[in-house]
Amino acid sequence: MKTIIRNVAFGLLGASVAAASVAGPAEDRAAFQKFYENRFPDTPVDDFKNGVYSILPAAREQWESIEEFPPYELAIERGEEIYNKTFANGKSLKDCFGEDGAVRSEYPHWNKERGMVMTMELAVNECLEANGEKPLKYKKGAMADVTAYMSYNSRGQMVNVEIPADDPRALAAYENGKEHFYTKRGQLNFACADCHMHTAGMMYRADTTSPAFGHATSWPVFRSKWQAMGTLHRRFAGCHNNIRANPYKAQGEEYRNLEYFVTYMSNGLEFNGPAARK
Amino acid sequence: MNQGMKALVLGLALSAPLAVAGNGTTAEHIEAATAAYKQLAKDTGYQWTVTVKAIKAAQKALKEGDDAGARKLAHQAMDLVEATRKQAKIESETWQMRVPK
Repeated sequence: MKTIIRNVAFGLLGASVAAASVAGPAEDRAAFQKFYENRFPDTPVDDFKNGVYSILPAAREQWESIEEFPPYELAIERGEEIYNKTFANGKSLKDCFGEDGAVRSEYPHWNKERGMVMTMELAVNECLEANGEKPLKYKKGAMADVTAYMSYNSRGQMVNVEIPADDPRALAAYENGKEHFYTKRGQLNFACADCHMHTAGMMYRADTTSPAFGHATSWPVFRSKWQAMGTLHRRFAGCHNNIRANPYKAQGEEYRNLEYFVTYMSNGLEFNGPAARK
Repeated sequence: MNQGMKALVLGLALSAPLAVAGNGTTAEHIEAATAAYKQLAKDTGYQWTVTVKAIKAAQKALKEGDDAGARKLAHQAMDLVEATRKQAKIESETWQMRVPK
């Protein structure tokens, strides 16, 4: 009898470990969001879209006053010009993204035909190149401006990234992004999760680290440190430099998969870009 | 393999890194560190910025005639490559521990 009980117990233990090890994206997201809700019980869930200001009341007031005359306003205006500019072939970005470019919630998404994650920045450049125009640099400048305009017109759309169940490559891309997020790298031996999950809200020198829940909603941002606009992949690269890891290529597979993961983790929040950040 | 042969193979294996560290020109040491760095990136995707800095500093020192300094930096770069490889191995086995359940 004891042997049977022991075997059943081992079986149950094995089953629970197996269940834990095969947790799918939906279970991952639930555990991820729950982690932040428990860590920051005073923050309403829908406020995590405001990054570090959702957990830092002292800095929030200053940030709100910055948002009254936002430093990204000029970027939106420049972006609008780029968006409406007629290409040499008579077309414009409108032909790819509609009248006002309010397509933020369509990205990132899994492109089944091409077997890859598509991001908004990549789609903008593909539109330009398909129409005989030069592609834009991915980290700042005109790309940040035009996506600021598109994001501004998309404000209020909900993050709703899907991992299609009928294509295992999509899950593999998600898993790749997930592994990247939780893996330590660089000489300082930090994972994204170290700063933005397990020690989120704590001080690193003079700065408080932001929660990763909501990280993907507000791009591009005007960052005080840069005194300019920048894209999400610019920030990824900056983080990697900070921990003394060589950054990956902006819009390369590694960062697109990471964007796929972190955006999926923020499903249910609003897109609220562009934004101002420290 | 008899005991004598085993001891010989073990001895050669242990002395090989020392031979590499001690022999060859400084330029060859820098080249070896550069090749190891590139191979590691290919194998694991892991690269540390400080390793590139050490390699570049070694190249600069050699160009300026500081052979001893250049050799020291080349060995430092090789040590950083090795540390990066260890990090990649450890992380491939442990990253899931950080995922909230």
